[in-house]
Amino acid sequence: MVKYNMKILSIMICFASILLFTGCSDTTQNNSADNKEYKISFVDDDQKQINIAEPAKKIISLYSAHTENLYKLGMDDEIIGVGKSDIYPAKVLEKKKFDYKNADPESIILEEPDLVLIRPFINRSRPDFVQALEKAGINVVSLYPESFDEFDDYIKKLSFLTGTEDKANELLKDFYAKIDDVKEKTKNIDDKVNVYFESSEQDYKTVTVDSMPGMAIDIAGGINVASDVKPIKEGSSIASYGTERILEKADDIDVFVSQNGVMNAGGNKHSITIRPGFDTIKAIKNDRVYVINQKIISSPTFRYLDGINEMCRMFYPEIFDDYSKYDVDEDVTREELAEIVVKFKHKPVFVPTSKYYRKDHKGHTYGMFEDVDMNDEKINFVEAAVTSGYIDGFKEDDKEYFYPNKKVTREEFAKVLFIMSDIKPIDTKINISDIAEVENKKIVQMIIDNKIMTLKNNKFNPKEYVTGKDVVKSLDLLSSIN
Amino acid sequence: MRIKKYLALLVSMMLLGGMLAGCSSAAGTEEKEVKKDPNKKAILVVSFGTSYADTRKVTIEACEEKLDKAFPDYEMRRAFTSNIIIKKLKERDGIEVDEPTQALEKLKAEGFSEVVVQSLHVMNGAEYDDLTAVVNQYKDDFDKIKMGSPLLTSVQDYKDLVEALKVQIGELEENEAVVFMGHGTHHYANATYSCLDYMFEDMGVNAYVGTVEGYPTLDNVINKLKKNNIEKVKLMPLMVVAGDHANNDMAGDEEDSWKSVLKKEGFVVETYLHGLGENEKVQDMYVNHAKEAMKEETTEE
Repeated sequence: MVKYNMKILSIMICFASILLFTGCSDTTQNNSADNKEYKISFVDDDQKQINIAEPAKKIISLYSAHTENLYKLGMDDEIIGVGKSDIYPAKVLEKKKFDYKNADPESIILEEPDLVLIRPFINRSRPDFVQALEKAGINVVSLYPESFDEFDDYIKKLSFLTGTEDKANELLKDFYAKIDDVKEKTKNIDDKVNVYFESSEQDYKTVTVDSMPGMAIDIAGGINVASDVKPIKEGSSIASYGTERILEKADDIDVFVSQNGVMNAGGNKHSITIRPGFDTIKAIKNDRVYVINQKIISSPTFRYLDGINEMCRMFYPEIFDDYSKYDVDEDVTREELAEIVVKFKHKPVFVPTSKYYRKDHKGHTYGMFEDVDMNDEKINFVEAAVTSGYIDGFKEDDKEYFYPNKKVTREEFAKVLFIMSDIKPIDTKINISDIAEVENKKIVQMIIDNKIMTLKNNKFNPKEYVTGKDVVKSLDLLSSIN
Repeated sequence: MRIKKYLALLVSMMLLGGMLAGCSSAAGTEEKEVKKDPNKKAILVVSFGTSYADTRKVTIEACEEKLDKAFPDYEMRRAFTSNIIIKKLKERDGIEVDEPTQALEKLKAEGFSEVVVQSLHVMNGAEYDDLTAVVNQYKDDFDKIKMGSPLLTSVQDYKDLVEALKVQIGELEENEAVVFMGHGTHHYANATYSCLDYMFEDMGVNAYVGTVEGYPTLDNVINKLKKNNIEKVKLMPLMVVAGDHANNDMAGDEEDSWKSVLKKEGFVVETYLHGLGENEKVQDMYVNHAKEAMKEETTEE
């Protein structure tokens, strides 16, 4: 028995000494903090005082929005590891993945990062994990902007940590200028659309007016029909609405937008339309139910602009999917054609998910074009046109190219027209004298027979370039027969 | 000394806890013997399930109703094998569906004496194997428990299915063919697809079978289409329900959907978005399979 007690006693001493020691190390840290001048000093979103001497050079980011924003700030090389399901931009696919949920903190410590970026949620669900990293002397910074108001502050903190203040200022300036542009375009629209936004199909939840989607509706010139909601708890952006209140406004809802891409997301177009009573909703009657990925509408990244633009296209396609500026006598480029066809088809921009990358894609894989950068203005149109199969990309030595500035030949354009439409062969065959020079004979023959494109002196001239005017004319003809 | 006391207390509490837990589990295993009623017979219709309500109505529910009507002496019960769909229906639509084990447990508890399990699977693949394993666990719980075979089991089934599909295929022009999209599997039953393809050819129907995840692939099918100078293609799902695969992988505006791939090759493509479950002759085939299962005598023991 004595032996037993001794054991217990020694265990207790051990515990006490651990407590003592950790206590000691804490105080030393605090003391030195007071004595030293730190370049980077702020309170993070876990209310912890951050004091760091130099901008980080080896960063592990465990939250997708941080990862995305760091890339935007140009931290391509400094990021040495990312979260398990981070997939944007596509470059992150090459980085080492870390999973805070199950992984041993040791796997991160071994990488010797000088900064690990987390968000408060991680600290709440795995405090032991975070403490282990801190104990190993790694700077762990927890950030998460709870509302859109905090976006600037959040981006600035990221820029302090990485020494990219100038870049951050430039990005933010551009971001707000673009939002102002949209506001300018939408403010004078007379007949504004009424919008309902579904954040979750369980209990028919919507979002509060000051949430990111709520603000996007406003910027894009929509009127939120659920502007009277109260959040489920204070500070939350989610609000219960319920079928009754939705159906009360059935005649008012012009556009129904549902958020996908998260757990407990909104319904898809099908599940929304089949709900009992929902057939009375104006948006459902008029086929104006849209789905938007959470990543571009609720996540604190610069892609929020994409979300706003998508909402504009949903609300006012006649304005925001208008491509008449290309109706000129100039040759179109491939990226311009991408923009035109995506607008013509009202095709939503493509937002990749981690599920998307789990599958092998035979042709193109999102984000893999060597010659279309994530910051390229037309990237969304290019990706939407290629992922929907309307325009082909190219593969050379296992690398993908789009050749955005290349001009479009008549034969290429004929193929695009065929793929995005339901043109069928007709019996009256028009004679094409240079058909021998055409590669896709069947397609070109159908396009000519259906009079979507015309011949010059019986010739198709497959290698000639198409002008914007040609493109717009063919699309007009296409919509008249479809 | 105090520590010793606490320790003793702790140990005794743990022992007590263990004893109590032991007691309750013993009580749990002691089951009431349910008296089997010779007149209580059930047909359990098992499918993967779908969360698409309108499609469910015309495919799975249509098959279930047919089976229900065909066997008035049997009570029709439903089970889905997909837990994800069961969960979704429960949370989203408030619809409760059992998985096969739950359904069989209920039948057992309610004193059913005979159960015929008819699955709506297309082939004798991995999912059917799983279901067989579940059903086998209940073979001593009923006087008779039998399984109706999947759609494609006997040679006659292949012939019958081609006849059934002729109805939905309709008249084809000379340069026109139907391409069926099957799921494909790693299971050896994947040979089912090639067998059906062969049967189409044998019976003079211009239709081909490809799969998303197995063999033959779409590329294999395209080679045949080109060889046979086909210019127009009707795409049809070789699946009971026209769900995600049919809407996206087959007919979607996606770069690698079958529609896009075929169009890029210059084919004129039409899509038919109705699952096999909508085909009345297919529904009849399931009824016949259930009939055969009922006829089977219990040969064991």
